Amino acid sequence: MQLLNLAIAMMLDFAAPILLASLGGVISESSGVVNIALEGIMRFSAFFGVWGSAVAKNQWVGLLWGIGIGIVVGAFHAYITVKWAGDQIVSGVAINVVSLGIITYFLELIFKTTGYSPSVPYFGSAANRISLTFLSKIPVLGAFSRLTIFVWLSLLLTGGLHFLLYHTVLGLRIRSVGENPTAAETLGVNVFKIKWFAVIMGSVFAAIGGAALSLGTMASFNNTGVAGGKGFIALAAMIFGKWTPFGAMLAAFLFASAQVLQFILQATARGIASQIPSGFYSALPYFLTIGALVGVVGKAVGPAADGIPYKKES
Amino acid sequence: MKEFFYRLFMNRRREKYWWINLLVPLVSIFLALIVGGIFIQSTGRNPFLAYRLLFNASGLIPGPYWRSSFAELLLSSSMFIATGLSFAIAAKGGLFSIGAEGQFYVGAVVAAFFGYSKPFAGLPSIIHIPIILIMVMLFGGFWGLIAGYLKAKRGIHEVIVTIMLNWIAFYLIQGWLVPTGGPMAAKVETGVSGTPYISPTAKLPIILSNTRLNISIFIMIAVSFLIWFLLYRTTFGYEARAMGHTAIYNMEAPKVSGVNTSKRIMQIMFLSGAVAALGGSFIVLGILSQFPPVFEGGYGFDGIAVALIGQNEPLGIFLSGILIGALRTGATSVQIARIPKTFPQIIEGLIVAFIALHELVRYLLLKLAKAKKSSVTEGSVE
Repeated sequence: MQLLNLAIAMMLDFAAPILLASLGGVISESSGVVNIALEGIMRFSAFFGVWGSAVAKNQWVGLLWGIGIGIVVGAFHAYITVKWAGDQIVSGVAINVVSLGIITYFLELIFKTTGYSPSVPYFGSAANRISLTFLSKIPVLGAFSRLTIFVWLSLLLTGGLHFLLYHTVLGLRIRSVGENPTAAETLGVNVFKIKWFAVIMGSVFAAIGGAALSLGTMASFNNTGVAGGKGFIALAAMIFGKWTPFGAMLAAFLFASAQVLQFILQATARGIASQIPSGFYSALPYFLTIGALVGVVGKAVGPAADGIPYKKES
Repeated sequence: MKEFFYRLFMNRRREKYWWINLLVPLVSIFLALIVGGIFIQSTGRNPFLAYRLLFNASGLIPGPYWRSSFAELLLSSSMFIATGLSFAIAAKGGLFSIGAEGQFYVGAVVAAFFGYSKPFAGLPSIIHIPIILIMVMLFGGFWGLIAGYLKAKRGIHEVIVTIMLNWIAFYLIQGWLVPTGGPMAAKVETGVSGTPYISPTAKLPIILSNTRLNISIFIMIAVSFLIWFLLYRTTFGYEARAMGHTAIYNMEAPKVSGVNTSKRIMQIMFLSGAVAALGGSFIVLGILSQFPPVFEGGYGFDGIAVALIGQNEPLGIFLSGILIGALRTGATSVQIARIPKTFPQIIEGLIVAFIALHELVRYLLLKLAKAKKSSVTEGSVE
């Protein structure tokens, strides 16, 4: 039973950053703005999180710095794509490329290294985990006894975002802007305001996901490892989940479970199975994702006006 | 030639201030350099020194070591052009392929295999190299075709599949084929890690003596032209572009007018994968001579930036590929000014950002042009 709990906890830990970034994608694309900058935003906030935590010797300050840079990058994306109706893919690629260059630059400037930052206070240390010891002996639920705040945040925000999108006026407006901005405008919705809000909110979600990478279970920023494609996996999870919060959650969990399964298989392989090269195990989650898409999920249809810049008639 | 330029400089608006379209990419590059300079200045380093070092070593400007840096520039440019074209072909057909990275890997490993393996390694270069390149394009094209097939037959979003295929290619190559004990690894007693070195007959012929510059850049010139021809002079290109223009409407219009969209999607993705793989073969056949145990990728993702700077047009991509190749060639030299060698990536990203802001750049230029014009006319009235 302990092993099962451990596996579930590991899965949740692994899924949290992907899920958070994926939720960011969901809210941004619901309003019709494609955000392939998730990867870049995660890198930015992972680094700024570590930086803030190092400066203030407090992980909460780090998280705030991460969210702060998320707002800045989100505003940049919104300025290009909403204010100037720029191409959303182009803007997203710009953020991703800049993040690669600029973070290495900062890493060298601030921590005098190009690889790893020094260790900083983080949320994964024993004292900072959210302890629910009374659960620890119960199967399955026991997995929830010692999780980081990010796992809880990812679960709560999934529900919160679902409520926001499908049970509030604001959510209806966000979705209407993503489906048909012209119609929304005629009904008196301020399309630009809604898009600005959704893009920045989405970026903040992704930023929390990025902070989860560097301040969650690790305590430092690793220049090659952090993000390392997780933002793109989040993008895939968002499409996989058909642009809905709970869909994104299932997709992130599926991917994370495959990842944990891969670890366990690789660790427990005996006999012939241990002869299988590690590459096959590592590639397993990606095979399973494609398999799940072919077998179960099938065609995904996004918001109708997703990716189309909105310009007012003049 | 005129049509080339029309297509290159966006939107094909035949407006009064048409020359602004020509200026927008140039101004974007200029603005990016300025913003990058301000950034360096604000971190307490010298931007002028950085740019002098960067451009002196980039191979764009004649100088002391111009010959070799120029060769390096064209060598890396040919790979960026390949991945850039790969993205652009898919984009023209309304598909968003992030798969160039994985296809680049596949191309590199296939080139290494056919470069060293026995029945081929004895052949003369004139037969050996074409065999390698054809096999590279077939395998790379197949890797792209997987995404195309799933998109066409099952309606699965190409973004997910291409992302997943990148990782599958990465892990299968670096976790199975190439490491010690893998089917493609060199024998332990040779002391080589990674795959064995390719036979001399597989190396691309050098065209500038005492440098590494090889025919890859000529191959890319030919490929760029062929793709332009395919896109603008054939039925395939016409239908692909029709699909691209109507991608946001689910390609309904071309479907109604009788285009076999699923066939076209598969052809487009095959072509896209083949071209990206060709870029991967250059790194093995021209630079590394083997597939090393640790392979430094990234060309696929930079290809997206290259394609976007080049407006997804073959000639534009050729030029932007040269630009990005130049920035990368000069990259290591900025370390002398205590600036990390990833600095050129900041410039690259900023150029893309200003390309995205082309409406703003256009607006500012237009305002500038009108202001100048009105002041000129006022002057003449007086």
